Amino acid sequence: MTLLLSAWTIGLILSLLSLGVYISYRVFKFADITADGSITFGAAVAASMLTHGVHPVTSSIAAFAAGCAAGLCTGILHTRFRINQLLSGILVMTALYSINLHVMGQSNLPLLSVTTLTTYAQDLGRWLTGHDSATLFGWPVSARDAGSLVLSAAIVFIIALIAWLFFNTNLGSAMRASGDNEQMIRALGVSVENMIVLGLCISNGLVAFAGALLAQYQGFADVQMGIGMIVWGLASVIIGRALTGTDSAGAALTGTIMGSVLFRLIIAVALRWGLNPNDLKLVTAIFVFGALVLPMLMQKVRSHAAAS
Amino acid sequence: MLQLRELRKTFFAGTHNEVRALRGVSLQIDDGSFVIVIGTNGSGKSTLLNAVAGSFYVDQGAINIAGTDVTRWPEHRRAAMIGRVFQNPFSGTAPSMTVAENLALAARRGLRRGLGRLLPARIHTELRDRVATLNMQLENRMNNPIGTLSGGQRQALTLLMATWRRPDLLLLDEHTAALDPKSADQIVRLTEQIVSQHRLTTLMVTHSMQQAATLGDRIVMMNQGSVLADYRAAERRHIRAEDLVRRFDEIRRDELLDASAAEMLRAQYL
Ligand SMILES: Nc1ncnc2c1ncn2[C@@H]1O[C@H](COP(=O)(O)OP(=O)(O)OP(=O)(O)O)[C@@H](O)[C@H]1O
Ligand SMILES: [Mg+2]
Repeated sequence: MTLLLSAWTIGLILSLLSLGVYISYRVFKFADITADGSITFGAAVAASMLTHGVHPVTSSIAAFAAGCAAGLCTGILHTRFRINQLLSGILVMTALYSINLHVMGQSNLPLLSVTTLTTYAQDLGRWLTGHDSATLFGWPVSARDAGSLVLSAAIVFIIALIAWLFFNTNLGSAMRASGDNEQMIRALGVSVENMIVLGLCISNGLVAFAGALLAQYQGFADVQMGIGMIVWGLASVIIGRALTGTDSAGAALTGTIMGSVLFRLIIAVALRWGLNPNDLKLVTAIFVFGALVLPMLMQKVRSHAAAS
Repeated sequence: MLQLRELRKTFFAGTHNEVRALRGVSLQIDDGSFVIVIGTNGSGKSTLLNAVAGSFYVDQGAINIAGTDVTRWPEHRRAAMIGRVFQNPFSGTAPSMTVAENLALAARRGLRRGLGRLLPARIHTELRDRVATLNMQLENRMNNPIGTLSGGQRQALTLLMATWRRPDLLLLDEHTAALDPKSADQIVRLTEQIVSQHRLTTLMVTHSMQQAATLGDRIVMMNQGSVLADYRAAERRHIRAEDLVRRFDEIRRDELLDASAAEMLRAQYL
């Protein structure tokens, strides 16, 4: 049960990463690898502030701002200096590795003895269940696990709601249109460059925020924790797309969150069945590869069938 | 309204592929004038419209719209003054967004876009009413992604979008070329109606001599990056499609002559 709850919680926390990747990848078709660096950046900033006694909420918001700054750099490299998308992301991601080490002061920063959001989650769980542990469908559940799940679900809900509202504003719609048809939205007076910069800011802000929550949930920040996270986000976005199938902002956001949770659950089950944790990234990469080429193959098969 | 002074633009300057697309184009277009631009393929018509819209900066010359020098303005800034319809019906609309969303985006052309809602409840009737004027039954499809509509329908909506807020200048680049004859006809009529209703200053590129002879109040003929002929007032009124076709044939003959003469010289002296 703990395993399942934790898979749900991590799935929800990482759905914020997926929402970030949704903005860069689905809205702008921009494969923004900065995410690998900014999730760690968020974790590092939050962890470092927490160990200095800063309030968990302030620390998490600071992590969001840090991620925005990282996205700003990538956006400026790409739009002002005309560096290609992937390379802009790689440059910022690489730079962030050193920055993260500086921020943390060491390669791994434990958060076991400080007050974090998880502390509040535990209080929340205790208040909800009335005890340090309760039973759910006959399984023992700790107050910490229950509280973390409820808290992360609430946070994700609120952020998804804000994102949905944003994408239906004049500004947010102009952003969606920038990704959909550059020529058109330019002709309607929008600077596509500014939209990309703003979009990458928000995207990486969300990613870093996910990093901050993840660090507080697992109780440490690690300089390696970001490796391959972009692929994770892509997997979630692709699953989400398959689940909902439409392009409306609401459906896409919901799908992305569902995709993230579902993907984490699949991984948890696979690990349970004996998947070697070392193979996790490999499996994820293969999965995304499959999801990217499958539609193409289907198309071929279909046109083949139609031709014969 | 629109003043172009000695516009020059060379693509791939200094390379083997150098193209002198605009070679000193000057035009003065009055307020409310409807100008038809014709010319052979590659004569620089699209380049001229793109230069005015700001898709790129000209190498030399000045562009002045409604008394403002916009030569160094980026495209999105000029968009506040310019409405545009492209040749490709896919270019003017955001396919995955709904009809209503596309129109509402156009309703804020050149205005600040903040955190107000794109589609507040009160805007829906206005959107529907104006779409209904197209007589294409599109008012019942306001919530469909615009990418599910036909080219003609999308082009009609693009025209509506380009003129939603009255532009100082309307640029139409072969906006009926990709449509079937019936849809093209419909769009031409719609264009006429909108342009005359709002008295829009318009530049319209076309390859149809029929359209050139019947629409607008001035015809500008381009060739090799410059203005070859400029028919206006009485001259414009008396011109017929056949005259334009004849003029094109002359150009073609001259060019062939040029080419064969050059070939002869090359054979003799090189
Ligand atoms: N963005 C560009 N980059 C490079 N060359 C260009 C560009 N735009 C136009 N050209 C070149 O400039 C010349 C004029 O092209 P333009 O598109 O203006 O012709 P046009 O009169 O619109 O022709 P058509 O009737 O075929 O549309 C062509 O040789 C074209 O290849
Ligand atoms: Mg052209």
